[in-house]
Amino acid sequence: MSHNLHGTFVSQKVNKIRWRPDSFNNSHFFITGSWDDDQNTIKLWDFQENEEDDDIYPFLVATHNHNGDVTEAKFLNPDYLLASSSFGSARLIKIENKYNEISLKDEITWDHLHYFNNKECSPCNSFALYENDIVTVGEDGRINLLTAQSKLIVRRIDEADSCSLQCVIFLKHNEILTSNLRGQMKIWDLRSKEKTAINTFMLSGDHVTPTCLTFHPTQRHLIIAGDDLGSLTTWDLRHNTYPVNVLNAHEGSISEIQFHPDNPDQLFSCSSAGEIWHWSTKGKAGITMEDSNIWLAPDNIKNKLEVFTLMPNLGKPINSLDLNRNRIICGCDNEAIYLINGITLYN
Amino acid sequence: MEGDLKTFIIPNDLCRRTGLAASWTPINQMSVFAYEKRNVRQKDGPSNFASSQPSSVFLLRQHVLLFQPILRKLVNESNGAFLNLQGVISDKTLDHKSELLKLSRQYRSIVRACLEDLQDDITKVEGEDKETLQDYITIFYSIECIWHLCEILFVDTIPGNIVLPLLLDWVRFHFPKHERNAANMLSGDLIGLEANPEFWPTVIGSLLQGRVKVVRALLKQHSASDSHVFRLVDQILKAMPVYNVFSGTSVSEFNIQWRHWTVDVQSKIDAKMFVTSPNLNLIMRLVVGEETAWTEIQSHCETWYELLAAWLFYTEPTVKIFEVGQFAKHCITKMRMRNNMKHLDRVLLAAMEFDVLQVIKEIQHMSENGWFVTHLTDLLYHAGKLSNLEKEVETFSAEKLHESFLLDYGSLLMGHKSLWQVGLSYLDFCPTEGLKAIELILPRIPLETEAKTQKILREAKNRELVHVAQSICKVQGMKSLKRGRLGNALTWALKSQDGPFTSFLADKFLHEYTKDGKLASTDLLDNLGSCMLASDRLIFLGKYYEFHKLYQSGEYKEAANLLVSLLASKIIPNYFWYVLFIEAIPLLESEEIVFSSNDTYTIIHCLEEKEDLPELKDKIEILRLAAARNLSRALTYEAQLV
Repeated sequence: MSHNLHGTFVSQKVNKIRWRPDSFNNSHFFITGSWDDDQNTIKLWDFQENEEDDDIYPFLVATHNHNGDVTEAKFLNPDYLLASSSFGSARLIKIENKYNEISLKDEITWDHLHYFNNKECSPCNSFALYENDIVTVGEDGRINLLTAQSKLIVRRIDEADSCSLQCVIFLKHNEILTSNLRGQMKIWDLRSKEKTAINTFMLSGDHVTPTCLTFHPTQRHLIIAGDDLGSLTTWDLRHNTYPVNVLNAHEGSISEIQFHPDNPDQLFSCSSAGEIWHWSTKGKAGITMEDSNIWLAPDNIKNKLEVFTLMPNLGKPINSLDLNRNRIICGCDNEAIYLINGITLYN
Repeated sequence: MEGDLKTFIIPNDLCRRTGLAASWTPINQMSVFAYEKRNVRQKDGPSNFASSQPSSVFLLRQHVLLFQPILRKLVNESNGAFLNLQGVISDKTLDHKSELLKLSRQYRSIVRACLEDLQDDITKVEGEDKETLQDYITIFYSIECIWHLCEILFVDTIPGNIVLPLLLDWVRFHFPKHERNAANMLSGDLIGLEANPEFWPTVIGSLLQGRVKVVRALLKQHSASDSHVFRLVDQILKAMPVYNVFSGTSVSEFNIQWRHWTVDVQSKIDAKMFVTSPNLNLIMRLVVGEETAWTEIQSHCETWYELLAAWLFYTEPTVKIFEVGQFAKHCITKMRMRNNMKHLDRVLLAAMEFDVLQVIKEIQHMSENGWFVTHLTDLLYHAGKLSNLEKEVETFSAEKLHESFLLDYGSLLMGHKSLWQVGLSYLDFCPTEGLKAIELILPRIPLETEAKTQKILREAKNRELVHVAQSICKVQGMKSLKRGRLGNALTWALKSQDGPFTSFLADKFLHEYTKDGKLASTDLLDNLGSCMLASDRLIFLGKYYEFHKLYQSGEYKEAANLLVSLLASKIIPNYFWYVLFIEAIPLLESEEIVFSSNDTYTIIHCLEEKEDLPELKDKIEILRLAAARNLSRALTYEAQLV
């Protein structure tokens, strides 16, 4: 394989890492969010590539203090970034470029989005974006609907779940899917006045906790969840709420999964056992249009997929990964970030 | 040890008046607070110092240099190398010796990177910070220097034990001044180079580091280089034999060549052929090892080991690795340093004398919290350099020494908020005490968020510490309970597989219901599944919820069946009988008969058993009446069927 690997130690465990989107070029800015430190930070870095020098280093552009662990971070657009915290807050951060000096600035701060009844703040575990709509979920089982244009909370569902909510994604502009500690998946209609979910189903019978959710880039009804036992479970929400297939994959819990946006048959996953994998479908021959989506194949899915290890095992959890064209960055608990260049996309 | 005592003043008035007490908090912190000593005879009551004012508890922690952000890179990166090393050792197919050498170099490059970072940083700060950074640089510079020498002496494979080329490399690496100067001179303006005041010191310096070619190149640039004496010196230096183990010349053969050459040079010196140029004369006297000349240039050497390498190069070029120690002592005497040996000097001397134990003893006292001694000992241990000590020193065990360093270093890191995962990977390689230490420390890491709890839990499960995992789940369950998240608490209780705790929580659910008639966390109760079997009380809760659902959806017949089987099952908590009886009344009185006569007997039977329950007092009559009426209806109905 022709990819190459660059590691940099950053003196903080990295919980989230995201490329700053750039619609015209390869992204070279990215942000990292730390966790489990005395003072956590969000940092903006620049991986400026140099043609002559083979050894590239990320160059620290700006640092922004963050109260609590950075539990999730996502870009709304190239200039705005949303980050959530284990102290129950969320922040909209702007990347400002003034007098050629780039800095991070809080645009909107939503404090106390998540809290327990005894006034303790609750971690905001995750959030999902749909254009300017934001949905946050937390350990307190609460769901908040926000918009990036206002400090007001648009809607709040208290006690939406009796267990702590781990993940959330948008299915449609008005529908979200949440998953909780016990592996219950719930679909909510945000327009409905009801405080109950419109549909509930289980990840598996054994109360496994889903650790990440994603949908297929071109077929949004196809949902994949990674769980804390290292399996990938697929659903086709058009038909029913039974999993189409379950794939035992990683050793530890799956931290994140991501489809390649332009090559939907390529999937990337990383795990707490320090593995980062590239999933690709095996040869195209014999597959008709109808079942071209390999993830919906009910059985023998394993025979149709190839898995490549992108990096030697670190022995420490890889918490986050992000993809930009054929470059992956990942952030780990050994306080390092890695850039993997030149991923081969098998077509 | 007395000299090492340190006093800390706790800046608090209350503490000053009462006196102090301290206790350990997990893992390496101490909490200090005001405390008045009482004895048994004193009355048990608030002391004179008691007040409603808030008082302070002071947390004390050892200052750990490694926790500085700039050094955390070193901690983490070296952890990667450490883990690789353990991987190499467990892989029997690899050539351990060469792999260990690679890893040793990797460690050194990590230290080098750290030094470069520190040097970068020192230019950015002022004042006290600068001094601290300077201290760090000194520490890590020593580490690099010692590690390099230990690598040469203990890890590297040296063909024929001819150690000199490596020693020269070592000196050149750590005293790069002359090389830099020479390079600058040769790349700069070449005319009148000797006018540069650094010219001759650089020539001599290069000569001492054995860079004969550089010396010749520099001399060529001297404006008098065409003179006879310069040409002669150039010829002599060119003809100087250099031992190379791969050249095929045997040591004795080389020694003959060498002696011929020195005799030749000596005769030329004796013929006063170089007196026109005192500097060149000095060079010639040096290369033949003339004592007085070496005494003259001692001041060119910053340290004794610089002199040692130079002296060996010109007098004992084929010195064997085990002879280095005695020459080292000789050089120290020559430089009159015996009485003011610094720490670094002592370690280097010990290494040259192959006294591994002494090296380890000395580097333990370096103030970088054991990073160096842990990693170096680990390397030497796996290179097999400690096991031969067992024969020499009584009561010495290589394994124990190795493990004790890992244990100390690992537990130190476990005490840091963020570095606990790194600490774990060291404790993992302590064969006897490691797991026990993990067992003690892991449950003491603060559980701030569920995400962190899950990570700690995973570490416990990976090490099959089932009870640690269970107790962590229980703690998380109690936390949820305190926060009023009963459903979440139950989930954690189920994860902890603790029956009594699960029952306790199920009781909570039922108590809440008896209070306000609402069942909490129905989304959870809906999907209990096989988890229900964790405790009797939970089974009851699950079944009761099922009854509740049937009742509410109007399926009275099924509800009644469930109720009767519940009553017969004997898993009903005492406080809940009342609720079940009350809920049976409407079913007994329902238009359609839902209880058969047998069912009704069961109800009556239970009622008679529980008639003494105080809550039932004013309801018992109604219940009896309802049961009797239902019985009569049921009997009549059943009689029709026969």
